[in-house]
Amino acid sequence: MCFEKETREEASNQVFAENKDELGLVLFGSDITKNNLAKDDQYQNISVHRQLMIPNFELLEEIQNDVHPGSQQADWLDALVVCMDLLQNETLGKKYERLNIVMLTDLNTPSSPDQLDIIIGNLKRAGITLQFFLPFPVDGGGSNPPHGGKALSREQQQGLEMTKQVMMSLDEEDGLEEVYTFSDAIEKLSVFKRVEKRPMAWPCTLTIGSSLAIKIVGYKAVCEERPRKSWSVVDAQTHQKDDIKRDVVYCLNDDEETEVQKDDTIQGYRYGSDIVPFSKVDQDQMKYKTDGKSFAVLGFTKQSMINRHQFVGTQVLKVFAPKDDEHAGVALSGLIRALDDLKMVAVVRYVYARNGNPQVGAAFPCIKEKYECLVYVQLPFMEDLRQYSFPSLENNKKYTPSEDQLSAVDSLIDSMMLVEEDKDGVKKDLFKVNHIPNPQYQRLFQCLHHRAVNPSAPLPPMDPWLTTALQRPLAVATRCQAPLETLKKKFPLKEVVKKKELKTSKELFGNSTEEPDAKKAKVDEEEDFNLADITEGSITQVGSVDPARDFRTLIRQKSLPFGEVCQQLTGRIEQLLGNKNMNYYIKCIPCIQTFREQSVQVGNADHYNSYIQSLKTSIPVRGLQEFWDMLVQDALTLINKDEVDGSTFSSHDAKQFLTAGEKKEELVAAVVDDTGDVDDLLDMM
Amino acid sequence: MAQWNDYHHEDEDVDGEERDESGVDYKSTGRDSLVFLVDASKEMFKGEDEEPSPFDMTMQCVRSVYTSKIISSDKDLVALVFYGTEQSKNPRNSFKHVYIYHDLDLPGARRVQDVDGLRGEKGAQVAGETMGSGNTNLGEALWCCSNLYSDIKLRLSHKRLMIFTCRDTPHGGDSERDRQARTKASDLKETGVVIDLMHLMKPGGFDVSLFFCDVVSPPEDEAELGLQMEPCGKLEDLQKRVRAKEMKKRSVASLNLCLGEGMNVAVGVYITALQARKPNAIKLYRDNNEPVRTKTRLYHTQTGSLLLPSDTKRVQVYAGRQIVMEKDEVDVIKKFSDPGLELIGFKPMERLKLHHHLRSAVFIYPEEEMVTGVSILTLLRRCSVRNVFALCKYTRIRNSPPRFLALVPQKEEVDDGQAQIAAPGFHGIFLPYADDIRTLDTTQLPTASESQVDKMKEIVHKLRFKYRSDAFENPVLQQHYRNLEALALDLMAPEHIEDLTMPNVNMMDQRLGSLAQEFRDLVYPADYNPEGKTAPKRKPAEAAGGTEKKPKVEMSEDELRGHVQKGNLGKLTVPVLKDACKQFGVKVTGTKKQELIDALTAQLTK
Repeated sequence: MCFEKETREEASNQVFAENKDELGLVLFGSDITKNNLAKDDQYQNISVHRQLMIPNFELLEEIQNDVHPGSQQADWLDALVVCMDLLQNETLGKKYERLNIVMLTDLNTPSSPDQLDIIIGNLKRAGITLQFFLPFPVDGGGSNPPHGGKALSREQQQGLEMTKQVMMSLDEEDGLEEVYTFSDAIEKLSVFKRVEKRPMAWPCTLTIGSSLAIKIVGYKAVCEERPRKSWSVVDAQTHQKDDIKRDVVYCLNDDEETEVQKDDTIQGYRYGSDIVPFSKVDQDQMKYKTDGKSFAVLGFTKQSMINRHQFVGTQVLKVFAPKDDEHAGVALSGLIRALDDLKMVAVVRYVYARNGNPQVGAAFPCIKEKYECLVYVQLPFMEDLRQYSFPSLENNKKYTPSEDQLSAVDSLIDSMMLVEEDKDGVKKDLFKVNHIPNPQYQRLFQCLHHRAVNPSAPLPPMDPWLTTALQRPLAVATRCQAPLETLKKKFPLKEVVKKKELKTSKELFGNSTEEPDAKKAKVDEEEDFNLADITEGSITQVGSVDPARDFRTLIRQKSLPFGEVCQQLTGRIEQLLGNKNMNYYIKCIPCIQTFREQSVQVGNADHYNSYIQSLKTSIPVRGLQEFWDMLVQDALTLINKDEVDGSTFSSHDAKQFLTAGEKKEELVAAVVDDTGDVDDLLDMM
Repeated sequence: MAQWNDYHHEDEDVDGEERDESGVDYKSTGRDSLVFLVDASKEMFKGEDEEPSPFDMTMQCVRSVYTSKIISSDKDLVALVFYGTEQSKNPRNSFKHVYIYHDLDLPGARRVQDVDGLRGEKGAQVAGETMGSGNTNLGEALWCCSNLYSDIKLRLSHKRLMIFTCRDTPHGGDSERDRQARTKASDLKETGVVIDLMHLMKPGGFDVSLFFCDVVSPPEDEAELGLQMEPCGKLEDLQKRVRAKEMKKRSVASLNLCLGEGMNVAVGVYITALQARKPNAIKLYRDNNEPVRTKTRLYHTQTGSLLLPSDTKRVQVYAGRQIVMEKDEVDVIKKFSDPGLELIGFKPMERLKLHHHLRSAVFIYPEEEMVTGVSILTLLRRCSVRNVFALCKYTRIRNSPPRFLALVPQKEEVDDGQAQIAAPGFHGIFLPYADDIRTLDTTQLPTASESQVDKMKEIVHKLRFKYRSDAFENPVLQQHYRNLEALALDLMAPEHIEDLTMPNVNMMDQRLGSLAQEFRDLVYPADYNPEGKTAPKRKPAEAAGGTEKKPKVEMSEDELRGHVQKGNLGKLTVPVLKDACKQFGVKVTGTKKQELIDALTAQLTK
């Protein structure tokens, strides 16, 4: 018998669904016999492996480790009787919603059909439902050889007939739909069942002005579902939660980090630069208050005025009339139909409960075959919106696509349509997101299950069905190959190196290609004049207040040799770095930027390059990794040959320099090859 | 159609108009800074007809930026500088006719009050007395501003300067000064400052090309958005324009949109609507009202030694069994694929269901305009023409599990003044998984007749208005900040807020007239009370003073052990479980059923 995997998955499913379903396990064809009905040679080789209990991991382990195929044969009808007996005895005095027997068998055993009618009668009387899992499809019948070409044995054919008889007599119309093949079972069972949540009713009154009210009940219809449990932190050795304590201490923002007691603290809020003490009591007294739940219509507006992409909030409510209230039903239906005809929505103020935060949202009409309701979604407040403007794509000549390009995109869309019509004109969606179980939780439960029964094994690979479920459907993937190739030719793309905030140094020093050089030279000239003339006064050495500015000025004044000024600057940088504090690091960055920029301008890279190299070697010893990361972020690398002739580094070396020991190559790439005009600039000087 | 304002008698009071940006999860690399450089010449104080003067408008605008910065980005630095003044006020007073009203710093309550003082007629008077109007030298003013930036010891990531003026030739043809100003402007631009012009109405029209075109920063692209804009005549327009520029656009992620093998387009993911929430309270030291820092430490209860994160593991309990994983494993379980957007295919627009909503949408815009922009633009255009959306798998960061997005094409829209009201790009709408959709059992109730529906249509008709997404302020936030403002400024009482979320019942009743009664007569029988409470279930118990509490269920230890062994503790109710916990001295931290069960199981299986 090969039902092991199915059984395991069904059980594991139940464990994680955390409902109160109880599960028993009866094996037949086992070597031993263990059941209440066994007497003489009756009900032999049938063993009740487990009484009805809420499934747990022991059961999973037993199924995995202890259940071995037996070598005996047993009548599957006998087994069915044992199961019924088990259900009836164990459920005595318990409340239950449903009794169900799942039968996994290949039917390949002789069974005596003489008591079939009695069994069916008992099943019906006890209200027990039945599901069959067979290794072959039931409608294959006896004549066609199903299942790998092997014809069914006589026993199997006979068994199949009996199965049909049982199932049809239990449910005349859909009986056979409860008979599955094993492969069905694996697919069906490997999806972890979602945790069922009973929808919570939210009774309220919809109001329009002061004199029109309709009783309503709201239900959460769509909402991001999360698993019921979360991770807790335990000690790595003992695995005990109690061995760990988290402790929060408060300390003053002084050098000693003086600890203060919680009782000596009060609550406050920031108001820009102000810090406003604001006690809880005062806050509660002064805060905005609402006086109870509300679903009040503020007005009606065209559906087209509500932008789909401006929906906010994390849920969608469906609003019905109360189940037993026909009058409310008619009134609400009047509103829903009026809105639907007029293509309008109600804008409502929604308050969940007393002192809940008010929302403004839209109630859309929704008319289905079986019901009518309002669909409520929250809309943004003014404070929630960000109005960014983006460069226009539309009105730009440069971006006008050619006819070829348009048709290439069109054929891509055609080939990748996920909704297609079959020959009967029925539309079929090949990729329904709302039918995919949340992969995060599927994966989580898969790993939890695996770890629970194999505590020391590494995590298992992703279930293949899950990987497939998240991919472009195979049919579409094949179909779009050719259009994609065409598209590639029509839109030659260069792989864009991810550009992070690289601007800083480049923008600062304007050594980009944007402006003609002549203009730049002029600017420099004027800046000289301006700076020397008024603000800077007389600077004779690199001071500590603004080393970068002093450095720049000194270089421009040319009163000291370049090397000496560099030395003064590096002295200051070292002094600042000695403080090992973010604020000082921040101050160092412009110094190094200026150092680099001035070195490039002067055309002497030696001082800068040797300083940066020695700085790099000292990073680990001095614990300056944080600072180094900032340099990397600003792409302050070595000056390369393209920038200054005397440099001994290629642009590749310079690039490597920062990333060695770092893996973030992409950070540097863009700056290095964008220095073409510096040479020209130097030529002119 | 009636405007929304009609319900609320007054015109929308713009004062205190605020917007929010909270919850921005970008990694900040420095502070943003914004300098308002405002013309204080005589022309600025001349209002036309009933309109407020350009100066007044500017001050309202500055105020609203101050307050919005306080609410949304309280780390940003703001400065207010006037030029063309009689008096001068700047460090060392080396710049004539430049008046630094506020240094580059965080805006606070006091500053908001200062700006308030410059509003209206009285404000104009105050401005006249303190600063006066005099010569204009924009070059000096810009230079003074550049010193503001360089005096800041913090790392600045985004530097913006906005010039507010109604004069297109500030130096009246003095070419020397024009030249100086241009030079200074380009100096500023070279140090990374973005200069914007907020030009205001001028009789005879404002000609940008006379002078300012050389001063301001070129727009992000060459599409000449921005410069061709008409001058602002209305406060609302000005605020809109300032608001669009005042914030640096920051993407929450920059990713590759993969159309297929080897077809990657770099795009940025932006957030355009996100719920603003009240910020968390901070703890202050009672003696000096200074903020205290909190330090969280993990330590071992037995040995008292401090624990490093690596000394811990993660645990979940299912069916009585502890399942242990390393922190890294917990993270890596969430990993499915590398960050990116992966195109699955296309679907007709009608397949996007209205109720498939989970959270605020994102906005997708191509990152590199050059080559790749064309393919995205073409895709955008064709999707829009053919009324389809693109279905994508979205992985935001390394260990984030995938979500599916419907990329809905958005065509660019501009208003009369050429200001962009909808940017071109894709809206990414989050689609629910099977787990996220709840099954509701619905019952069929009788539906309304045609006459009933028609009556309701009349009602709907009477109460129509034009919805605007920025028409409603969040009363909870507004009240909170007014309270803080009042406390910070020692006001007697916080400024009154108008709660726009409240229905204007009087106005509605008046408009409806007898319609409400007519509809009621059509749908409700005479004895039906739609406002009556539905079956007050709890009332009797409350009336009896709660004495009739259910008798306590005592359970024997054996009984409980039986339940534990069979694993069906779950069948018991929460109160019973709680009692059992008490009875057996089991300490529980939570009140959730599962936690109670876990605690009991742990205790009784020891």
